[in-house]
Amino acid sequence: MPAETPALTVEKLHKRFGAVEVLKGISLTANDGDVISILGSSGSGKSTFLRCINLLETPDDGVVTVAGETIKMRRRRDGSAEPADRRQVDRIRSELGMVFQSFNLWSHLTVIENLIEAPVHVQKRPKAECVEEAQALLAKVGMAERWNYYPAHLSGGQQQRAAIARALAMRPKVMLFDEPTSALDPELVGEVLRVMRSLADEGRTMLVVTHEMSFARDVSTRVMFLHQGLVEAEGPPHELFSGSTSDRFRQFISKERG
Amino acid sequence: MEQGIFISSLLKLLGALPLTLEVWALSVVLGALVAAGVTWMRVSESKPMKLFARAYVAVFRGTPLLIQLFIVYYGLSSLPAVRASFAWLFLKSAFNCAILSLALCTAAYQAEIFRGALLAVPHGHVEAARACGMSRVLLFRRIIFPIALRHALPAYSTEMISMVKATALVSLITLWDVLSVALKIRNDTLVTYTPLLIAGAIYFAVNYAIGAGFLALERRLSPHLRPRPI
Amino acid sequence: MSGLSIFGFGPGGWGLALLQGAAMTLLVSACGLLIGGVLGALVAWARLSGAALAGAMGQAYAALFRGLPELLVVYLVYFGTSTLLTSAAHTVGYEGFVGVPSFFAGALAVGVISGAYQAEVFRGAYRAIAKGELEAAVSVGMNRWLMFRRIIAPQVLRFALPGLGNLWQVALKDSSLISVTGLTELMRISQVGAGSTHRPFAFYLGGAALYLIMTLISNQAFEMAEARATRGMRRATG
Repeated sequence: MPAETPALTVEKLHKRFGAVEVLKGISLTANDGDVISILGSSGSGKSTFLRCINLLETPDDGVVTVAGETIKMRRRRDGSAEPADRRQVDRIRSELGMVFQSFNLWSHLTVIENLIEAPVHVQKRPKAECVEEAQALLAKVGMAERWNYYPAHLSGGQQQRAAIARALAMRPKVMLFDEPTSALDPELVGEVLRVMRSLADEGRTMLVVTHEMSFARDVSTRVMFLHQGLVEAEGPPHELFSGSTSDRFRQFISKERG
Repeated sequence: MEQGIFISSLLKLLGALPLTLEVWALSVVLGALVAAGVTWMRVSESKPMKLFARAYVAVFRGTPLLIQLFIVYYGLSSLPAVRASFAWLFLKSAFNCAILSLALCTAAYQAEIFRGALLAVPHGHVEAARACGMSRVLLFRRIIFPIALRHALPAYSTEMISMVKATALVSLITLWDVLSVALKIRNDTLVTYTPLLIAGAIYFAVNYAIGAGFLALERRLSPHLRPRPI
Repeated sequence: MSGLSIFGFGPGGWGLALLQGAAMTLLVSACGLLIGGVLGALVAWARLSGAALAGAMGQAYAALFRGLPELLVVYLVYFGTSTLLTSAAHTVGYEGFVGVPSFFAGALAVGVISGAYQAEVFRGAYRAIAKGELEAAVSVGMNRWLMFRRIIAPQVLRFALPGLGNLWQVALKDSSLISVTGLTELMRISQVGAGSTHRPFAFYLGGAALYLIMTLISNQAFEMAEARATRGMRRATG
């Protein structure tokens, strides 16, 4: 098999907030079809890491490459980093789909309007095509009958499924999930995890920051455990979950279970 | 109350209404433009710009409109430097002075409304838009502006009504608006209440219409804030 | 006289007169705010009590004075009170015109307008009091007057402070309109000085500066009062 370009590579990402260094050099390679769960206790930097990939946070050092294209960075006069080309950032963002902990659906738009907003205005695709695709995606996540509801009239689980469909509508190369079920009532978590599982089964490339151990263990192809800004353990789930060499990781999963 | 005086007062006062509305409309629009600029400065990164914007709002909200009006109309026109400059072509008309002064005043209030409306846009909405690859222009046009607009409407309605009431002050700088015509009728006919009460009714009717108009606009723009129709 | 000496306190200097005008402004605004407080409290009580007629009348009063230009109200109150007083004088046999002192007419005008807005502030402040506190007072056996005095009134004032601070500023600015009645408050003094010395720019600017100082000091005072009044209360932020 010829070597493929990885869907996403991150090399030695550093991020500081003031005097505190939150990411101390994290690297990751995601190939097509990889489902990588990112675990860690709060403060380990996992959300920050995810948000640095699509530059919602600006990394101080390191390289992010999406489908072979490297995000160009430069230094400001005061030494801090910034993206060199805004339009490149916008373009790369449109190739990544992000699902947020608090859904972040646009409240003044209906569900279907939420889905077609970026495809029509950012990717400049014809509206009819976007609407058709949006309807298919809504059916896939089980939201077909609520296409003209406003987000305020939906439950948390429904909003998150709609948000996942919105990310999918961009035809992303990689999907980024930032604790997608942490803000949901327990009985609504299942419906969202089911959708995510079906996406993984389809072969989508996914990075998932999560506390849901069942997902990490049963659905992901790889697990990454962060501790205080560094990768403490990494590997296929069966390796880590049944007798990992890392003490900290064993401590972590026992706390999560309890 | 004599019917003749009632009718003639009503006609004369209605005849002055266009001037009142003109002053109102022009100062509101000019004020909105200035307010946009002040708001832009207020949210900018630059400290001196932020400071200027805050000072502007404090000064124009902290002093009576009447004295601001007199500074422009009586004050500026007395300065030789102003009379000699190009500004005099504009400022020698009382109408222009009125518009300028009212606009500068409403700009301070409108700037605060805009600022509050921008702050009301949930940060998550902005992040989701950026994560989709929206440029800053697109983000403002499709997400920030529509949501801020809906938040601003109630306060903006109040400000529009305040501005109608503010136009009454131009009667003190020789413009023939509704109030000054009412006072003239009183002077000429020695009837005090008929013209003043009719004037009051006219102002009230205009303000009521503005309030109702904004309410209708709010309703149209916020189906997402009402319970779902079954 | 040139430059800033015109604002000085010596002979020919207007500094003292302007300060006296400012004092008059403060006095008439305070009286106006108090009158507005009484009216506003009455209207709020009428609306909250649930009595249909009183509530409707209160609402009508508030709607009316929020829809009329303040300058018009000043004229109406000034002429109106004079007419009333003159008619009253005529009934006891006095001939001729009786004018109401511009201070009273001015304070009343400011008060009547302020009351329309204060009603809303009090109504909102009352509704902000947690129902539980009122239930606790009733269950402890407080009668209505005691409950009002010890629980409701202090809480209402606490919640109303921000709104009242804003309305005080409004009263200060509205008081400048009383100048048309001739009352020697700050606006009128500035006007007289401007006319007398033919230096309108300097005088109106100086008057504006004095208004600004009064506004800024008032803001500070209200902020401090709010901080004191809300100590110990949980807030959404901070």
